[in-house]
Amino acid sequence: MKQYWVSHTKWKRNQEMQEVKMMANTIYIRMRSRVETKKYNNITLSQTAQIIAPDQYFPGLPNLIVCELKKADNQLVVLDVMHVINIISVHFPDCEVQTIGPTQTIIEIIREKKITSIPLFLIVWLLLFTGSGLAILNFHEEVSMQIVHQKLYWIITGQENVKPLLLQIPYSFGIGMGMILFFNHIFKKRFNEEPSPLEIEMFNYQQDLDHYVAIKENNESVKRLDGD
Amino acid sequence: MVIEIVAVILLGLAGGLAVGSGFVAFLTVLGIIPRLTQLTKTGRMIQAYEWAVILGAVCSGWVDLRDHSLHMNISLIIILIGLFCGLFIGMLAAALTEVLNVIPILSKRIGLEQQLLTLLMAIVLGKIFGSLFQWLYFNHV
Repeated sequence: MKQYWVSHTKWKRNQEMQEVKMMANTIYIRMRSRVETKKYNNITLSQTAQIIAPDQYFPGLPNLIVCELKKADNQLVVLDVMHVINIISVHFPDCEVQTIGPTQTIIEIIREKKITSIPLFLIVWLLLFTGSGLAILNFHEEVSMQIVHQKLYWIITGQENVKPLLLQIPYSFGIGMGMILFFNHIFKKRFNEEPSPLEIEMFNYQQDLDHYVAIKENNESVKRLDGD
Repeated sequence: MVIEIVAVILLGLAGGLAVGSGFVAFLTVLGIIPRLTQLTKTGRMIQAYEWAVILGAVCSGWVDLRDHSLHMNISLIIILIGLFCGLFIGMLAAALTEVLNVIPILSKRIGLEQQLLTLLMAIVLGKIFGSLFQWLYFNHV
């Protein structure tokens, strides 16, 4: 019986040693979801992914070139994790690659520094200004806001008033305050730390765009078997 | 006679049900109440807010249908009521803009992501100006 236990623990220790050995050449990578670059450089692994690896792979692994950007490339390049694993296994044949997180990185090449043109900005500003003003006029006409205000004024005071400005001027400023409250901004100052709905909306929109690009621009993710 | 009364009552009830549920659905889609609780950190009072909306709708509907006046000629109360009406309409308008997803797309298309806040202020000021313009000039021309 004792003999058995000794042999069993030995076997177990061997097993553990083997696992440690396995661990010793496992590379963990986590692809970044977005990489932005200004130049057509070669993209190294450390630029496009987070790496955890045993010491023997440094510094070769982080500086491994996984993607070469060419002038002919579009503004967006999708780097699939399969491509990255392929390159790693060519250079380090004895390693095991474990991937965590996103399965592709979107590389955006920013052509030139975006300069916001002042006239364009002014046009958009005026467009939004007049448009939202017109929209509120239309809304008030449609729901007969004037009559409602007149009646509300009468209900409260008991006096007929064709122009209940005492009610209507605070109402007008209230509209603006309500919108600011909703978007959680008073110019640059915020009420609390939470992101505003607009920021979440911007984030979601970017996320949707990235999702589209990740599948549409990735040549490997759609395959047509009939070849037409 | 009885049939007529019952029919009218049923019709009124049905109409009220449709309008009331539509109103609540509209508020839910726009998410104004969650937004307010998030701003004030009073999420536990959400049930009270639900009752506020229901009671507000029922009471003002009733007062509107009866021809009663409160005869409170105090300008401060009128100003406050006007301000609160405006705040609510403003939040409705902001929520509607957000649901329609106008600003993110517009600002990204023309590359004005940095000026997002200024564009927002354009809409806000446009609303204030448009509303004032209507009461002070447009309706009396």
